[in-house]
Amino acid sequence: MTGRNPDQPGIFKAISRALLRLAYGAAAALSGGCTGIQSAFSAFGIEAESTRALTWGMTAAATVITIGVLWLAWHAARAPAGRLDHQGGMRVILWLGAIGPTVLLTALLVSSLTKMRTLPTGADDLKIAVDGEQFWWRARYLPAGGQPVETANEIRVPVGHTVTFALTSPDVIHSFWIPGLAGKVDMIPGRTNDLVVRATRTGVYRGACAEFCGLSHARMAFDVVAMAPADFDRWLAGAARPAAGIDSPGRHLFEEYGCGGCHTIRGHAEDSTIGPDLTHVGSRLSLGAGTLPMTRDALSRFIRDPASVKPGALMPSFKDMPGKDADAISSYLAELR
Amino acid sequence: MIRKLHKLAQRLKSSLWMLVVPPTVWALHFLFSYVYAAVRCAKSGSAEVIVDIRTGIAAATVVALLLVVAFGYIAWAQSRIQGDLPPYQDSTDEDRLRFLAVSTLLLAGLSFVAILFTALSAFVFEDCR
Amino acid sequence: MSVAANTQPDQNDPAVRAAQEERLRAVWSPPRGLFLRWTDTNNNAVGIWYTLTAFGMLLFAGVLALIMRAQLAVPENDLVSASTFNQLFTLHGSMMMFLFAVPMFEAVSVLILPQLLGARDLPFPRLSAFGYWSFLIGGVFVAGSIFFDAAPDGGWFMYPPLSTEPSTAGIGADIWMLGLSFIEVSSIAAAVELIVGVLKCRPPGMRLNLMPLYAWYILVVAVMILFAFPPLIAGDILFEMERLLDWPFFDAKRGGDPLLWQHLFWIFGHPEVYIIFLPSIAIFAMVIPTFAQRHLLGYPWIVLAAVGTGFLSFGLWVHHMFATGMPNISLGFFSAASEAVAIPTAVQIFVFIATIWAGRVVWSTPMLYGAGSLAIFVIGGLTGVMVAAAPFDWQAHDTYFVVAHLHYVLIGGSVLPLFAGLYYYWPLVTAKKLSDRLGRIAFWMMFVGFNLGFFPMHISGLMGMPRRVYTYSEALGVGTLNLLSTLGAFLFAAGVAVVVVDLCLSPRRPRVPRNPWNAGTLEWLEFSQQENWGVRSVPLIESRYPLWDQPGFLRQVDEGRYFLPDAEEGYRELMITSVLDGRPLQVARIGGPTPIPMLAAIALGGVFILTTYHLYWSALASGLAALAVILWWLWTGTSLIPEKPEKHAGLGVVLPLYASGPASSGWWAMFITMIGDATAFAGLIFGYFFFWTVHADFPPEPLPGQAGPGAYWPMVALALILAGWVLTIAARETNARGRVGLARAALAVAAAATGTGGLAGLAGPWRAGLDPALHVYPAIVWVLVIWTAVHAAFGVVMQLFALARSLVGRMTPVYDGDVRNITVYGHFLALSALITFLVIGFFPRLA
Repeated sequence: MTGRNPDQPGIFKAISRALLRLAYGAAAALSGGCTGIQSAFSAFGIEAESTRALTWGMTAAATVITIGVLWLAWHAARAPAGRLDHQGGMRVILWLGAIGPTVLLTALLVSSLTKMRTLPTGADDLKIAVDGEQFWWRARYLPAGGQPVETANEIRVPVGHTVTFALTSPDVIHSFWIPGLAGKVDMIPGRTNDLVVRATRTGVYRGACAEFCGLSHARMAFDVVAMAPADFDRWLAGAARPAAGIDSPGRHLFEEYGCGGCHTIRGHAEDSTIGPDLTHVGSRLSLGAGTLPMTRDALSRFIRDPASVKPGALMPSFKDMPGKDADAISSYLAELR
Repeated sequence: MIRKLHKLAQRLKSSLWMLVVPPTVWALHFLFSYVYAAVRCAKSGSAEVIVDIRTGIAAATVVALLLVVAFGYIAWAQSRIQGDLPPYQDSTDEDRLRFLAVSTLLLAGLSFVAILFTALSAFVFEDCR
Repeated sequence: MSVAANTQPDQNDPAVRAAQEERLRAVWSPPRGLFLRWTDTNNNAVGIWYTLTAFGMLLFAGVLALIMRAQLAVPENDLVSASTFNQLFTLHGSMMMFLFAVPMFEAVSVLILPQLLGARDLPFPRLSAFGYWSFLIGGVFVAGSIFFDAAPDGGWFMYPPLSTEPSTAGIGADIWMLGLSFIEVSSIAAAVELIVGVLKCRPPGMRLNLMPLYAWYILVVAVMILFAFPPLIAGDILFEMERLLDWPFFDAKRGGDPLLWQHLFWIFGHPEVYIIFLPSIAIFAMVIPTFAQRHLLGYPWIVLAAVGTGFLSFGLWVHHMFATGMPNISLGFFSAASEAVAIPTAVQIFVFIATIWAGRVVWSTPMLYGAGSLAIFVIGGLTGVMVAAAPFDWQAHDTYFVVAHLHYVLIGGSVLPLFAGLYYYWPLVTAKKLSDRLGRIAFWMMFVGFNLGFFPMHISGLMGMPRRVYTYSEALGVGTLNLLSTLGAFLFAAGVAVVVVDLCLSPRRPRVPRNPWNAGTLEWLEFSQQENWGVRSVPLIESRYPLWDQPGFLRQVDEGRYFLPDAEEGYRELMITSVLDGRPLQVARIGGPTPIPMLAAIALGGVFILTTYHLYWSALASGLAALAVILWWLWTGTSLIPEKPEKHAGLGVVLPLYASGPASSGWWAMFITMIGDATAFAGLIFGYFFFWTVHADFPPEPLPGQAGPGAYWPMVALALILAGWVLTIAARETNARGRVGLARAALAVAAAATGTGGLAGLAGPWRAGLDPALHVYPAIVWVLVIWTAVHAAFGVVMQLFALARSLVGRMTPVYDGDVRNITVYGHFLALSALITFLVIGFFPRLA
């Protein structure tokens, strides 16, 4: 392969460049990517950290076992006939097939069962009731001794404090999953399941629905913010307040178009709680349960045709709404911070 | 006494039904543990119910293990009656019997481990959460 | 069995042998003609149709997967809509499970099990044909729905309420539920056939310790089907009751519980994985000794592994429900069993490795596929051990990690072994070998494509990509991984396409000699496709590998020196032997070509398909037609009185031509079917007690519409049905003692008692005014009562059938198979009546 002109353009170079790019991509996905915003590897809670340790341990063991078994199979295939007699064969089966796996599995079972124990809880812990609904999340913060605060599509937790999520659903089965915080728990109509967690690191993360729940299952995510306890208390106090006294054309249009028939904006419209609470919607990190960025354009788009963003969404389409009306409502909503 | 038991064990001929006794014992023990824990946890709100659950499952485990050991012993005794060496592949009554006995013995071993695995769970958790 | 000397034909005389062959050929000749050829019931024909249809389903479901992979190649793609995507993955999973994997195991078994056992056919060839036609009709119905945008779209597990609510699930849910229920019924029919085949139709001398391992696996798998499918059928019944009649079994607002469906589904769903996996490993157990050129080491270990897996697999179902919020202690039991099941699996792998180690490996295309599937399966098995650990599963569950895991298990543990089997058994079926070169090319494409496609999914899953999403956000950072998965999937598919090309080229290839791999097991006696009779004479077996170990075996078989070398009376005949030791018991005559199974499948399929479209009257008519066809089938084809009591079976053995009771295959078929039936019933009873366990208000307050049914009517019903049962037993006994008149009277009264018993059962909830749409309690009481009443109605049909047979002389004191078989049914009917009426009558007082 010597003497080749390094400047020679050609198909080899193109291919090798493409392969190289793919390899870089894969390497990035494997290393950097593992610390994504919705990744079990970027743990920020006690449960997720303990599971991550278990994962690495099991992965290492599985790798060693796979290589060992394949090496043994290769060795066995190359061995001449009669290298292993009947007695020897029985020993291979007994020790490698039966006793070895039994010992390893016993160790794994003991360690995994002990990791299943639920964190201890106290009466003063923060409780957050989350309902999965097609295709968004209703969250009610129930601080011990405080007022309940309803919001939607965003979960905020104080770092270092035990938080219990009470999870259910009024329609179909969903599953509440914040990979960085803990494993998933299903939200089942007629039942309430608890999930006890404790965050260990501040940051902005993401969770998603993990149980297939219909057309927009893929569009049912949420932002998760782990905050320092003081910041969290400040935020919760803000979230408990009604919306500021805004008097914009958007607010009137909101009433005119009947948006209040589904959405609550505390202080402005409090007739119905069918859809997500919009009291401080402008302060949320994303729109449509983690589907669109929180911008005016995105709000307008969502208002005029929610089904184009989220197929099967229950919100009716307002395709005939003039663009300027939609923009006015978006401006109003974006101001609700 | 022991000799008599041994003779008795050899006389109980292995069959397909005997082959499935040890895993059936596992299945019954498993079913009992699951149903008992589920019903007690669902019907009682208090945390003390775990003591009952543990006692019940411990008793069931002892019974199940004894049964499995007994059948394993019968199988072992039968696998050692006179005849040629393994792999028991001749078309004779003895080989068929010893083949079934060895298979039963192996299944008894597996069932023994599986019963212990099941029981483990009852002793790790301290409540019904 | 008795022995008579000097009555055997002279097998040394070529003329005698030629005459015998002529008669055998005539008896076993397949029907010809454009339509008539489809009335064939012989396992050679049915097995091939079955296998090809199942293979077609694999290709179809594979194409669905490719469309999905194309959609997921890049984030935020819009190649297909969310609705289409949901139909694609639901149908892909459902088809691969119900229309490829399970039918393929049945198909392969129908095709090769008789050969493995040196039998001429399976014990109930018409039942195999019925199974095939049911599979074809149900399969086309379910798979075809996607062309009408009406395919099921709730995921292959069809969780309620998403799949039961009319607002979120269309007709696709009914197509899934009814179409696949129909196929489940045919799977249970196949299980009955295979169990009886393995236990009663082995060749003389084939004791349990000499049985080919394939037969051991098939026995275990068929028994598993018998216990795994019925709970799903029970679930299907509840599901359709909710869909069609609004009975609230899974509706939490009216006392129901969506989790009941999950329990019933996964009690089926997890054993299902092993039902798919074990038969493929069974192919391994045949291939490996051949290419190691030695006996398999550790035969009892394989029996341990097969039986142990069969049992343990029933203790795993909740590991699909780890995230449903059950108490941790309960999860622990299932986690424990899920870990324990890895032990027998590891045993099998090391049995194969030890055998290869001890023998000298002949490298071949089947072995290449074997080695590849071992590599893949080991990884899948180990990730299985990982997800069995509940804390890890809470992360991995319902993510692409599980998608990767299950494909490693099913492709490594089922699909690639089937390809190994394809290359191995192709010469057996067609007398042609497939191309080694194309086989190798296809293998490497599949192997590389598979790992490229599925390995990255482990990572994308843990990086937060849930399953069953039609698209994903770029923010997850899994775009590259998904692109790799898509490339790999297409490479894998291209490998499959190469195999298809290879199959299409096969007719042009030269013929190979018999037993081209120099194997030691009985199936290689077969001259592929030349004679329809299977084996020239049914051999006497003295070894696990008779072709290797029994000198002159092939010649003796071919010269008709063993059993049944002739068909002198012009019937298709089988040897029936004893379960443990393969002692000859009977020569059984089996049915030949007939359109009955096809007609029965069409009529029964009509019931399910018409119900899907709410055409209840047509469905009822179709049901009556099905009943009529099945009665015609039983009347003309079962328990036929032979023209003489016994015949010479060869080697000086004289065997009876008729058997009844436990000595007959029909009795066993009834017994085994009823075990499955009782399991479905147990599923319904489980439902009753499940509601009681999880809900404090079960039974609910005795308000109008949900109070009852009291104890009076249930006890009347129970007394009547038990009277019918006792009278049936009396009829059996008096008939056997020659008191035919008394037996007939007993049967007539028994039918009357059973029938009124069923009606009295219905009277309980009816008189109490239980409204099944109001609350789950009246609904489950109604279901239990209807189940028992329907069974009582079938009991009446059977009692009258036996009476009619007696009246026309088709049942006599000696030839009394009918009354013995219906007595078995009677035992199970009495048992389910006992449980039903005691539970609904008295449990409300205890609870």
